[in-house]
Amino acid sequence: MRNRDISFWLFLAPVILSLSLVIMIPFLYGFVYSFTNWNGINATEFLGFKNYINLFKDAEFRASIWFTTKFAIVSVILLNFLGLGLALLVTQRMRTSNFMRTIFFMPNLIGGLILGFIWQFIFISVFGSIGELLGIEALTGWLSTTATGFWGLVILTSWQMAGYIMVIYIAYLENIPKDLLEAAEIDGASSFQKFKNIIFPLVAPAFTVSMFLTLSNSFQIYDQNLSLTNGGPYNSTQMVAMSIVKTAFTENKMAYAQSQAVIFFIIVAAVAVTNVYYNKKREVDM
Amino acid sequence: MKNRKSFFRIVSIMLVAVLALVGCSSSNDSGNDKEKSSEDQVTVDIFQFKVEIKDQFEDLVKVYEDENPGVKINVKTVGGGNDYGGTLKAAFASGDEPAIFNVGGPSDVEEYRAYLADLADTAAAEAALDGTLTAVQEDAKVLGLPFNQEGYGLIYNKNVFEEAGINVEDIVTFEDLQNVVETLDKQKEELGLDAVFALPAKELWVLGDHISNMFIAPEFNNDIQEAYHAETIALEKGDELKRYLDLQNKYSVQPILSLDYSQQVEQLFSLEKVAMIQQGNWVYNSVYDMDPDFAENGIGILSVPVEGFEGHIPAGVPMFWAVNDKKDDKVVQASKDFLDWLYTSETGKNAVLEDFKFIPAYKDYDAEKISDPLSKQIYEFAEVGKTIEGWVYQATPTGWNQETLGVNIQKYLSGDMEWDEVISKSIEKWEAERQ
Repeated sequence: MRNRDISFWLFLAPVILSLSLVIMIPFLYGFVYSFTNWNGINATEFLGFKNYINLFKDAEFRASIWFTTKFAIVSVILLNFLGLGLALLVTQRMRTSNFMRTIFFMPNLIGGLILGFIWQFIFISVFGSIGELLGIEALTGWLSTTATGFWGLVILTSWQMAGYIMVIYIAYLENIPKDLLEAAEIDGASSFQKFKNIIFPLVAPAFTVSMFLTLSNSFQIYDQNLSLTNGGPYNSTQMVAMSIVKTAFTENKMAYAQSQAVIFFIIVAAVAVTNVYYNKKREVDM
Repeated sequence: MKNRKSFFRIVSIMLVAVLALVGCSSSNDSGNDKEKSSEDQVTVDIFQFKVEIKDQFEDLVKVYEDENPGVKINVKTVGGGNDYGGTLKAAFASGDEPAIFNVGGPSDVEEYRAYLADLADTAAAEAALDGTLTAVQEDAKVLGLPFNQEGYGLIYNKNVFEEAGINVEDIVTFEDLQNVVETLDKQKEELGLDAVFALPAKELWVLGDHISNMFIAPEFNNDIQEAYHAETIALEKGDELKRYLDLQNKYSVQPILSLDYSQQVEQLFSLEKVAMIQQGNWVYNSVYDMDPDFAENGIGILSVPVEGFEGHIPAGVPMFWAVNDKKDDKVVQASKDFLDWLYTSETGKNAVLEDFKFIPAYKDYDAEKISDPLSKQIYEFAEVGKTIEGWVYQATPTGWNQETLGVNIQKYLSGDMEWDEVISKSIEKWEAERQ
């Protein structure tokens, strides 16, 4: 920070250059376009805030924001819970722990589209057959209602991302000084007390990181949404990213979609920044 | 001195990085265009939507390239109406425009007008059948060439119908259809059926485009241009549409809202688990892949009873080839030549009939060679004038058919919306879009 001489800026230049080329400039362009009637090929009129005003009257867009928010809340809780659980599991002294780490992490390596199609098969065909065989009504008809579509998406993303979050927790878990735990053991602390008073406070920074990751990730989900439910039934499981793409390409309202994107950006940025701010405050320094 | 050394080191690292970046980006442009065009090489990029003919089309392109050494053709295929439109738009927005692409009708023509070359001087436009060009004709200009003709209706399993003792000739009115469906439903155990129908309500294009079109087109006298300029829609045949949907829903494999096209055609119909599906001649290749014998001998097509149009089959041109006028003149000419060759040369004609299994939209084809039974039947319907022309869903406000009507129908089928509301909300949206 102190000596910002020429070499400092030169070092930074390639990153700043590419970042502004692929992110900053398109973002500003998009922001400008959201005030026009741009149709993807040309813009003829400057509309001011008209797109934004229409946006607040748009029930479908509101529904998609609400759906995404619900999804984000549930999956953030579930993912951190699962991630920490798996991390605790594989940091126990077990012969299979390395193997299990690999297994848990693996779903993360498969692309979201493929995952969506695989789980679509599981939800519809496998669940359907099992439900029919055992006479369990609840298992048939997955993805054909809003509720099952919602939980289908939650299950899919949890399955995919839990292993990734696990890795973050493992890193922090393994950094906990052994002497602290030993001392607690000598004092006669139970495993729950150890977890509550030592492990949990010390992995708090991991919580900050993974909460940020899961939050921003669950807000931005698109490919899983597309391949699993495609927004159906009747667009009720349509998340914001998908709603934006549909508005832009299917309904051919590029500028309007752009204004949706701007609002979406503001929401995600606000949520993510507040979250990091509060979590940072909570962390314990060793 | 030491400072200076590290400074130079930094600069040299940066230079390498920048060179690497520049090197990557420029290799695409300069490579193809400049070196090869000097040898009169013309590259034509084709972006087409029909996944069903992807392999056959690519094989045919290779034949053309062998016959015309100066032309290089790249084919890119993206399937499904919905995806294609979006991907094409993205290609144009990013400047990666194809030389030949597909447009669906007046709405698409309006949108891409600046890019559409006049194809009136091509041999293919000359040979196009009467009425197949109306959707893309403007004064003397022809802005697209028809792909083929397609038709749809209720595709039925002949074996099942025979076993159940049903004569398809007897099915004319809606009541007839209803009776047949009930007969089949009673015997579904013996016939080995899961249900009579498979209604893929997950597919918005089936609900919003195909099913609805039959009940909307008559309102605009089956004229695409009329629908394109209509300020409002009355949905006069809304009750008939509801009646037909209810019938399919009641006797379909459940749950319909997660049932998609591939389940409908491959898992259910091709494996003879359902007696009827509403689809078109394009399913032939899929059925053939699953069960060649069944595809050749076991399937036929029935008309969907629409009052006033009993015994008629909706048939029309689903998509048109357009040539990108903004490309180099040479590329435009090469594109036109290729399309002419595709539809008027002997090799092309054979491929269109035998490999693509198209129902041709052009003159001078040997109808005897139409190889699949569905296409042949539709061609026969067309020959005696028993078709409902005008696929007006290509001329409705953009996205209206699927995103408004289709979605509302889904809501109705899941019990979340009353039918009256489906009608009124869809009309409202149409009027709002056409203001």
